[in-house]
Amino acid sequence: MNATQQYVLLLGLALGTVGMVLSLYSLSRAIGPTRGEPGKDVPASSGVLSRDPVWGRYHARYYGYALLFLAFDMEMAFMYPWAVVYKEVGMVALLDMGVFLAILFLGLLYGWSQGAFRRQ
Amino acid sequence: MSSDPAINLTGARQKRYSVLQKLVSRALARNLSCLIVPGPEVALAHGLDVTAAGLRIATTPRDASVLLIVGDLPGKMGDAVAVLYAQMPRPRAILMVGGQTPSTLSGDDISSDLSQEDLTEAVGQLKRALADGAFTDSPEDFDASVMHARIEYVCPMHPEVVEDEPGSCPKCGMDLVAREAGESTPEGGSDHEHHEDHEHHGHEHEHCHDQEHQSHHEHQSHHGHHEHHDGHDQDHGHDHDHNNEHQPEHAPENAGTEYTCPMHPEIVRDEPGSCPKCGMDLVVRESDDHSEHEHSGHDHGEHDHGEHDHGEHDHGGHDHEGHDHGSSGFMSMIEVTKDLPRSADGLQMDWLEVPFGPVFPGLPGGLKLTLTLDGDGVTEGQAISLVGVTSKGDNVEESEEMDAETFIAYLSAAIPLAPVSYRLLACLAIEQAAGLEDDSANAGARTGALERERIASHLGWLAQLGRQLGFAWLTQRASTLQLQVREANRDSLAALEPALRTLGTRLERTPLLKSRLMGVGILPTESSGLRGPVASAANEGGDAWARLWQRLAEISASLDLIKSGAEPELPVLRDVGDVSGTGEATVDTPRGEARLSLKLERGHVKSYELDTACSHHIGLVPKLVEGQELGDALLAVGSLDLSPWEVTS
Amino acid sequence: MTVAIVLLALLGSAWLLAVIEGWMATGRLSPAAPLFNGLAHLGRESIVPRSPDRVFFEAAPVLLLVVAVLGMAVLPLAPDLIIADLGTGALFINAALAYVLVAVIMAGWGPDGAYAMIGGWRFLGQLIAYSMLIVMPITAVAMRAESLVNTAIVGSQSSLWNIVYQPLGFVLFFIAAMALAFRAPFDLPTAEGELGGGVDAEYTGVRLAVLRLARLTLVVTLASATTVFYLGGWHGPLLPPWAWSLIKTLAVAVSMLLVGRYLPRIREADLMRWCWIMGIPLALVNIIIVGLLILVVP
Repeated sequence: MNATQQYVLLLGLALGTVGMVLSLYSLSRAIGPTRGEPGKDVPASSGVLSRDPVWGRYHARYYGYALLFLAFDMEMAFMYPWAVVYKEVGMVALLDMGVFLAILFLGLLYGWSQGAFRRQ
Repeated sequence: MSSDPAINLTGARQKRYSVLQKLVSRALARNLSCLIVPGPEVALAHGLDVTAAGLRIATTPRDASVLLIVGDLPGKMGDAVAVLYAQMPRPRAILMVGGQTPSTLSGDDISSDLSQEDLTEAVGQLKRALADGAFTDSPEDFDASVMHARIEYVCPMHPEVVEDEPGSCPKCGMDLVAREAGESTPEGGSDHEHHEDHEHHGHEHEHCHDQEHQSHHEHQSHHGHHEHHDGHDQDHGHDHDHNNEHQPEHAPENAGTEYTCPMHPEIVRDEPGSCPKCGMDLVVRESDDHSEHEHSGHDHGEHDHGEHDHGEHDHGGHDHEGHDHGSSGFMSMIEVTKDLPRSADGLQMDWLEVPFGPVFPGLPGGLKLTLTLDGDGVTEGQAISLVGVTSKGDNVEESEEMDAETFIAYLSAAIPLAPVSYRLLACLAIEQAAGLEDDSANAGARTGALERERIASHLGWLAQLGRQLGFAWLTQRASTLQLQVREANRDSLAALEPALRTLGTRLERTPLLKSRLMGVGILPTESSGLRGPVASAANEGGDAWARLWQRLAEISASLDLIKSGAEPELPVLRDVGDVSGTGEATVDTPRGEARLSLKLERGHVKSYELDTACSHHIGLVPKLVEGQELGDALLAVGSLDLSPWEVTS
Repeated sequence: MTVAIVLLALLGSAWLLAVIEGWMATGRLSPAAPLFNGLAHLGRESIVPRSPDRVFFEAAPVLLLVVAVLGMAVLPLAPDLIIADLGTGALFINAALAYVLVAVIMAGWGPDGAYAMIGGWRFLGQLIAYSMLIVMPITAVAMRAESLVNTAIVGSQSSLWNIVYQPLGFVLFFIAAMALAFRAPFDLPTAEGELGGGVDAEYTGVRLAVLRLARLTLVVTLASATTVFYLGGWHGPLLPPWAWSLIKTLAVAVSMLLVGRYLPRIREADLMRWCWIMGIPLALVNIIIVGLLILVVP
């Protein structure tokens, strides 16, 4: 199998899964309809009929981490190709990545010192 | 029995021809999951093992097919029960155990008495009924008045304009906004603000923010200012007072206005300028310790610095033509958020008022905790009980008179989580009113029963803690032990002793538990109104961890007491005859001291006054939850072991 | 044929996990329970909340299932028992698993309910905590195998399993995988005692059945990934290769389910703090140790 065939197979698998779910849905529809009744479709909130909409600006208190995460996630994009050729290249690769990671790690320490790991 | 009367399920599903229906009905009957109202802890306290009866315990109505109501429910719970039932997917059924079905439901499907055998039999009947009648041709819609909040339409600018139909405001021509009738009477000023936020934060309403603005202007119409953050800060000032306490630059004697950096809330200056950290222009902000006149001074002084360039706010103070406001097409982030409340870190967010309870899996049933959430943090919260016992019985004589026995039964039934303690309390008070001497013969047996209930009650709390923390092992272990302890005699308690004592060792060794509980819900020693384990734990650190260990220690102490004392026996009232008098008694219930004073007239209870620990503890909730993360806030409330039944009203 | 066998193995494992889940809830081991449970879900109404984000609401369970199945498709059960042995298999797993976050946030946002929405955003915080601990240990695995091909990764462990070669990486990966599957004690987005079911809360009937299946499948996929990356995949004496893969996968999956039963739910703030202050430095140390080992030991 070449790469294209593999990806086509994966796509087919995804579509097949969706198809299976859809057939389950139609099976359950065949068993009976969902009856529309007052109050039934309001999101359940422990016995209180709470019709207020909740979509809004949500206070994500972990934004300090989120910024650091961006830096680290970018770095990981470089790590994978590096990891594959690491043994081939040898010590130089370790030093190269070591310097890179050290700088990144300093960023982590700086973020820590500035209270990025505190719940905002 | 083959002669079962056929049960017609009111919650059956609408039929549509399908060969699968028979099979599916069987599967449904095998998979009964129940939502317990008021809560699993009440079922346990009554000695019901719901799982053993063949029902899986569901935590939400969405996941349940049986609404299992345990015991009589006070009237205030009626609406909640109706909502829960309405939100269960069909096929669904109501199983009423030991009480009257609340009137908001249109009757039950099966009812049984309050015993394990009856429950098991009722579940069996229910299974047969489901296997046969899960589907029907013409199910009836379930409906209750609570589902039909009247919708009314109000003008955002003119709150006095209320119409029954949508349209435009006769005064200003603006579109009226829908709202549920009854929402118009806010309990307090800040609540009102929250409601406004709810109503308008849907993004399609962005223009409403502007209009809401103008109503702010209306209120403060003498100042033609354009600093809208301040209008809001004034309303919410108290919410971030605590934040500012640890700002080093903040001068406490500051009068009125101060300037702060939008990015660095710790920068606070007396004069306008730029931030030393990032160079941004400082914005004006209300001082924390403002008083009324300081505030108005600030409003006037504000013209001197137009640091916020809100292009469209250059209108004069009074005559808003208003409608051109949203028309610019582009909404900057500042525009969108300027009316939102400000969090502790200075960001403006939508706050949500979210109910937790009365039937919430993490809290005892009947307790309704309402939290105002800013993200997953709590900005404020309050707890009320929907099932509380009445604290004063002055009107006893109006209804039929309560003789002593009826009163005892009434009081112990009203408190399902600690019936023995309150039975004992009532007995003691009545006996004292009758002028009987303390008798030492019964005292030992009574103490034994009280201590046994203390063990059972604390085990119930541990099970509840397990439910809250998703600690399945603890819930299962503690529930099993509670069921065994509930009616155990001295010998069987002695047999259970090793299991009870290892519980503590086991919890000590559980990873993550300490870090989860330490520092949560701290109550300092000097907090007023602390009683029982909560009070004793205040000396040991006063957090949830200390309260856990206090309760475990009390389990051990009670075990020792029972071992060295008499066989536990339910308190029974001694013969008092037709006497009159007043009596007062105090019992150290599992949740703390409870006092009862009553007046006896010819053997009948004329009036009584009850004072319980939980009535005091529930008042601690707002302080405990404020500023906490949601999980911690719920844990803090849970660690108080509030019994909503014991909250007097 | 391969596709059918792998999917059957996946479904069979999910069924076994469902039996164990049922045992944890009721105390009874009943092999038929998952079947009846599924049928019962089919028989219940599937309620759609009023005014939801319909696309998000409907897509979430399906997406979660698709992600789990695709993840499984690139993991080998035996040298030639793999649906697609991609050249970038280890990376593909990462990419697929990233969509778990998308699915959970969609499930949280969709119904317009407060509990669900908070659950969804909580999981975003959880991702920020665990994500690096999935990615970094896999890097160290790829360093040893000199490849991102999953069969090559198993092949590199023929003499010594990675759990011995890089135990630190295994521990970090296992914890992160549990957080990714949002099982207890990392069930922050679905916390029953804190959010009344959270992102799961609004799903009923057949949609709930799909969601539950997806969550179990996800556990199996993650357990299989753990097996491939650390437990030597199909390697083992006597039994045929596929049997070893299945045994190891099921053992990891069952332990993932059981651990949660004996632990209280972790605090989100603690999770993030520990992951960033201890987890990420340890993961870097792991990479360096493995790097040195590769150079020193021939």
